Amino acid sequence: MIGDAVPAIATAVPIGIAFGVILERTGLGDPRVIAGQLTGRDFTVVRVMFGAIVTAMLGVVWGSAAGWIDLSSIAVPPTDIAAQLIGAVIFGGGFALAALCPGTACVAASSGRRDGIAAVAGMLGGTAITAVVWPVLGGVTAAAPREGALLPDDLGLPLWSVVVAVTVMGVAATTLGRRIDSRGSARAWRITATETAALVLAVAFVVVDERTGLSHGRLAGIASEITREADHVEALDLAEWIRAGEPGLRIIDVREDLEAATYLIPGAEAVAIESLTTIRVAAGERVVLYSEGGAHAAQAWVLLRARGVANAFVLKDGLAAWEDEVLAPLRPAVADDTARARYSRARHLSIWFGGMPRLVPLPDEVRPTREPAGRRRRNTC
Amino acid sequence: MRGPRPYDDATRGGIALGLVLLASFLLVGRGVGASGAFAVAAGSVIGTVAPENLAANPALADRLPSGVPLLDDWIVLQLAGLFVGAALSAWWSGRLRANRSVAAPGATRLTRAFAGGALMGLGARLAYGCTSGLGLTGGALLATGAWIFIPVAFGTAAFVTLLARDGALHGAP
Repeated sequence: MIGDAVPAIATAVPIGIAFGVILERTGLGDPRVIAGQLTGRDFTVVRVMFGAIVTAMLGVVWGSAAGWIDLSSIAVPPTDIAAQLIGAVIFGGGFALAALCPGTACVAASSGRRDGIAAVAGMLGGTAITAVVWPVLGGVTAAAPREGALLPDDLGLPLWSVVVAVTVMGVAATTLGRRIDSRGSARAWRITATETAALVLAVAFVVVDERTGLSHGRLAGIASEITREADHVEALDLAEWIRAGEPGLRIIDVREDLEAATYLIPGAEAVAIESLTTIRVAAGERVVLYSEGGAHAAQAWVLLRARGVANAFVLKDGLAAWEDEVLAPLRPAVADDTARARYSRARHLSIWFGGMPRLVPLPDEVRPTREPAGRRRRNTC
Repeated sequence: MRGPRPYDDATRGGIALGLVLLASFLLVGRGVGASGAFAVAAGSVIGTVAPENLAANPALADRLPSGVPLLDDWIVLQLAGLFVGAALSAWWSGRLRANRSVAAPGATRLTRAFAGGALMGLGARLAYGCTSGLGLTGGALLATGAWIFIPVAFGTAAFVTLLARDGALHGAP
């Protein structure tokens, strides 16, 4: 970040100057404009605030989705709900009395208004007095505020829904405000090109966020899939998918020691875990991940789901299960109907995949498995 | 005599302010603010005259930072920039002279502006920010606290104004 490399004055002063110029030029240093907003006659304050909030918000969410902005590097104001409710009521009373807020009071003072100077002096006094009245008011504050608390997470809503809601609210407020400020001109009802652009950016963000956003709600959804084991596919089911030529099936081998491996499930491609963050997955594809036992595949599954790949599965118990259940199914010694039906299904699949169904357990060296046979792990998932 | 230039379109000004805010996020990883500079100033005074007060109240010390070098603090320098920018802009638009020559507000207006400023100073410390640092910056970043502060602060202000029937401007030019 540039701000870390240069002295504070190099960034703070230009940004402050731009802030002051904009507040002054829009008329926010004039208490009559702010009093006009508080009585509903003039919508300058609402239009400037929403224009700024919607613009910066869309810039932040799109910049973050595109990888230009690292959200974690931006300081988010803390949340302390009780203190902020009471603080807002006290602040609102002062805002009404002064018809200026702290920033605009400074603009008013600097542009020669004496009531602005009075409000700035009051601000200094009131801020210092906070320490004096703390025994009375300090009780409402939390021991520690919640740093970085965000509205979508606290509401349990996806980011896109809050972005759309704020944009729609902002466009409605600026349109209504323009209508009032133009004293009822019929043209003022029309949504301008800029407002349309904001709405389009917000709606387009829905698609981006659904695929990539990691809101609390989406993480909870992924966690629930893990609990329900909805992410697992049995070896026999996978074998049937392959034999039936299921469209869009994509099998990915994520074993670490692939160079030593001689056997891949038919149709599988080898992909290193670190490449999973970037491989392209088409919308209709059904991804099945497998590793030796299943632990690596399960980790890879979380990675893909977090990236927004919806249709992903883990081969239950990994390649070990594929060998035992598909390549070399064992005829049950004492079979009930279910076990017999399962063996009959497995036997056909096994022959189709070039395996060898077993009537009795065979010694390891003649089993149709790949080398090395000695390193088998079960149930590591 | 020619009057001052008219004000800019509010929505366009808002979008420009949003771009400044975005530049601030990108360049320094923080947004704009105003009351934070007052907190740093008051905090350094209290930290000198009554440091035990801050030491005994962590939640207060969190709101009134002490021991910050005033002339090297980002938010203080940003507010200094705001003063410069507002003065330049008012001069350029012919409002500096207009404000100076006509501005002789009555005692009531000055008292109310001072009292209002004091209440805002206190309220902003409780809330961790004002309409700029919490409203604009927190609003754009979708901070929960900001979206509690904005409607409650504006709602209270509109309600008080309604009760007082524009009384805040009594004695204003």
